[in-house]
Amino acid sequence: MIRKYIALLRMKYIEMLAYRLATFVWMTGAITQPLITMFVWMNIHPEESDSFVFYFMAVIFVERMTSAWDVWELDREIREGTFSNWLLRPLHPIHWAIAENIIYKWLFAVILVPVWVVAATFWPALRPHMTASQIMLFLMAVVLGAALRFLLSYSCGLLAFWMTKVAAVYGVIDVISLFLSGRIAPLGLLPPQLREWSEWLPFRYMISFPIEIATGAADGGELARGFAIAAGWMMALIGALQWLWKAGMRKNQAVGG
Amino acid sequence: MRRYGRVFREFFRACLVEEMEYRSEFFGNFIASFFGIAIALLTVHIFFYQTDRLGGWTYGEVLVLLGVFNTLRGFIDFALRPNMPRLLEHVRRGTLDYILTKPVDSMFYVSFRHLVFWRLIDVALGIGVIGFGLYVERYVPSAADVCMFLIVMAASLLLIYSLWMMLMTTSFWVVRIDDLSFIFDSFFDTARFPGSMYRGAVRLVITYILPAVLITNTPALALLGKWRIPTALAALAAAILFLWLARRFWRFALRFYTGAGG
Repeated sequence: MIRKYIALLRMKYIEMLAYRLATFVWMTGAITQPLITMFVWMNIHPEESDSFVFYFMAVIFVERMTSAWDVWELDREIREGTFSNWLLRPLHPIHWAIAENIIYKWLFAVILVPVWVVAATFWPALRPHMTASQIMLFLMAVVLGAALRFLLSYSCGLLAFWMTKVAAVYGVIDVISLFLSGRIAPLGLLPPQLREWSEWLPFRYMISFPIEIATGAADGGELARGFAIAAGWMMALIGALQWLWKAGMRKNQAVGG
Repeated sequence: MRRYGRVFREFFRACLVEEMEYRSEFFGNFIASFFGIAIALLTVHIFFYQTDRLGGWTYGEVLVLLGVFNTLRGFIDFALRPNMPRLLEHVRRGTLDYILTKPVDSMFYVSFRHLVFWRLIDVALGIGVIGFGLYVERYVPSAADVCMFLIVMAASLLLIYSLWMMLMTTSFWVVRIDDLSFIFDSFFDTARFPGSMYRGAVRLVITYILPAVLITNTPALALLGKWRIPTALAALAAAILFLWLARRFWRFALRFYTGAGG
């Protein structure tokens, strides 16, 4: 399995190099929205500018590390029928998607981490103050967040076996996550009801939770509870994905035959 | 000028007929537009949950600004965006030759040939939000305000058209155009909020180099009765300057094109 994965990763890496310009463009796009929001908050609470700078830089970083685009790929491939090609290969198609995700996130990390280091030397607000255990927990939370986002995106993509407008459905989910994952505002600044919702829904654990660990906003019992809820959602999403996959295969064969 | 009006009407009619074939899409599109504006309003609401001023603008004023932004974006999506991929296709296949032999100006043709009507919903919703903002602000614009608003709005449309046209013209050299419009969108998104909110280098760039702030802020201020003649004149001057630049750039690109084709 490990050998297969190494081969997969190598293939995806070569594929990615062919689209360097596009990758750069998507990166720029991903940066502007958090930056605009950052300026808004710095304007509202000028005395906390430094913490907003750190928060929104972390949003850009964590967002890139966890983002998944599988729903659009699946939507297109299932609709156009090219998805069947994947089924003929000896490995479950999800492994190709996982390999692609790993490679892209690795690339983003390779670009963003040095940028962060350089920026932090000039801009003290960007220097993280984290203990070793905090760093470990942060990395764990990022991996968990990436898994959650990937599972959600892939499960939604599988809905394309039954529906024609899956991308639109995912668009709605994405908008909800815009508010509840902490991209529009640090969750502490949301109205209380929204904040309560964000605790129980999976979106907080995709972006905000790792950042809360990095800034020290979440610790102790809060932390344990957060990991427990996120793990629960992960189990639920794995279950949903497996069920959707089986049902989708049946549906697919019915159409094909 | 009259001839261009007639040609534009003809484009309008042809596209309307085309679009009527997909009437069932209309409802879905309407929901999508409505959803988009609801999200924008909710976002502004979350900001104002914490404050009563944004860059010195009140809630109602920011709503008027948001309405202007949505209206302008509706116009972009109505006329300019649908034409971009087609120009690219013409350049790639060499069918631009046919357009150049037509008796209308090529720049006019490539920027208005294809129109997407349902995007006018965004214009209507934008005007609705402007009205709502004025209501929240309890301000009734005077005739002079409206007049000034129409003038600076026209200048903004010209500016956007010029910027967009320059972006489109790069398709003679750049192949992936969706990436380009993506960049335009992210920069135009800064115009959603008051320019006075931004600081430092960002503020300089979006005020003077890429006048995103000028494009939305001046019309909103005009409607709120806070216009000044010099600002309006500056907006008009900038619009004419950018139009001239866009025109020059298009001509330059055409020379490049014939060079490659021949």
